[in-house]
Amino acid sequence: MSPDVVVIGGGIVGSACAYYLSREGLKVYLVEKNAVGSGTSKAGQAHVCLWEQPEINLRLGGASRALYEILAHELPFDIEYSQTGSIAVVEDPADWLAFEQSVRSLQAFGLNCRLLAPADLAAMEPNLARDLTGGASFPEDAQVIPMYATLALAEAAKRNGAVIHAFTEVTGIECSSQRVVRAVNTTSGRIPTKAVVNAAGVWSPEIGKMVGVDIPVKPRRGHIVVTEPVPHNVINCKIILAAGYMQTLKAGDGVAIAANIQQTPSGNILLGSSREFIGMDWSVNPDVLQKMIARNLRFLPALKGIHAIRTYAGLRPYTPDLVPIIGPVDGVEGFYAACGHEGAGITMGPITGKLVSEIITGQDTTLPVEPLLLARFNHHQ
Amino acid sequence: MEAEGHGTSRQAEKGLLICRCEEVALDEIEAAIAEGALTLNEVKRRTRAGMGLCQGKTCRRLVERILAQKTGQKPGDIQPSTHRPPVRPVELQALAAAGEE
Repeated sequence: MSPDVVVIGGGIVGSACAYYLSREGLKVYLVEKNAVGSGTSKAGQAHVCLWEQPEINLRLGGASRALYEILAHELPFDIEYSQTGSIAVVEDPADWLAFEQSVRSLQAFGLNCRLLAPADLAAMEPNLARDLTGGASFPEDAQVIPMYATLALAEAAKRNGAVIHAFTEVTGIECSSQRVVRAVNTTSGRIPTKAVVNAAGVWSPEIGKMVGVDIPVKPRRGHIVVTEPVPHNVINCKIILAAGYMQTLKAGDGVAIAANIQQTPSGNILLGSSREFIGMDWSVNPDVLQKMIARNLRFLPALKGIHAIRTYAGLRPYTPDLVPIIGPVDGVEGFYAACGHEGAGITMGPITGKLVSEIITGQDTTLPVEPLLLARFNHHQ
Repeated sequence: MEAEGHGTSRQAEKGLLICRCEEVALDEIEAAIAEGALTLNEVKRRTRAGMGLCQGKTCRRLVERILAQKTGQKPGDIQPSTHRPPVRPVELQALAAAGEE
């Protein structure tokens, strides 16, 4: 029996698509060229972040977090989801006014958050450096283990009847002369289908090319350091990041670095973040690591004597406007995009899968998808 | 330093430990393989085997052998796990200062 939908890419986004589509009763194949969760989804931190601008991202984040609340109970195994909250801290007094304005605008949007004076910071996180200008608390932010979330979504999809084709690479997509999707060719054979979801993340441009579509996603490298497990009193709030993190997302050439400290339930601390355009290079650059660790120590000196046990780099699927590409693709009937989430694939994976399932089954969508369509780029060409 | 939750009572409840750092037992490795794991990395992502202080130096070969037995692959054909720096645990302050000499 040929599937109703072929989802290409077994990261968190593709796994969420497979899960929500299979829950609607559709026959789904998930095709992944390596193992499920072996690309970008395994190479990040653990933050479900509700305050990434622009506004459409705030909506996606909020809707996705609501889905995580449900997924934490309905998935077949524990994804270690919890509402940890997060704290953003400002180092330079010169940045305070702009930061204060951005927090006020988030409050105006309806996000639960509040500004913190240095005394508030010291009370909440005694180990933070004492010379910080201030910060903000985002109590509804959450944490999830991306690897468990990805594997659990794929497993749940399988239990709904989806078929997972791991270690299977897509070699081409067949369309009719009217540009309607007809089949997906893979290293394990031809799969006839009427619908294809491109959830291939940093590889999504290659999949786009197979149907003559230009997808403006670029790989952007980010480094992470993992420490030995440490007691949970080193930091109280499990996610502390420099307010400058959001600026690093916008930065252009060169290497952008911002402190980003996250402790997972296992006790390990994950340190980020860096961003640089360097092509499909997954290697770790010691210079970037050194600068990144120094930035983290500047904010949390208590890290000094803690040991690093592992380092890695992942590629984030960047789009020029930092908004993911979700929905039907003009000019190719049956071809849908679900890609370009940059560092927010973990945050937005569930809502992306939900939206894709709503679009393909012709239901009203949880959020308006117009601002997410690939067409927004084509219109500007 | 020792993380909370790694007490000896939990250890006693488990069977034969394969990954001592993360306290992963043989039956957990076998369950991951039954779920479809074919490589060391897949076992690691499901169970945390090899994610602890020694980064798999002790359990890598054991997991490889279990994978070979359960999946019918030859030990030499099993995709090796990804080795990442540092080779042994290093204090963060040493790493932060590494470029300043």
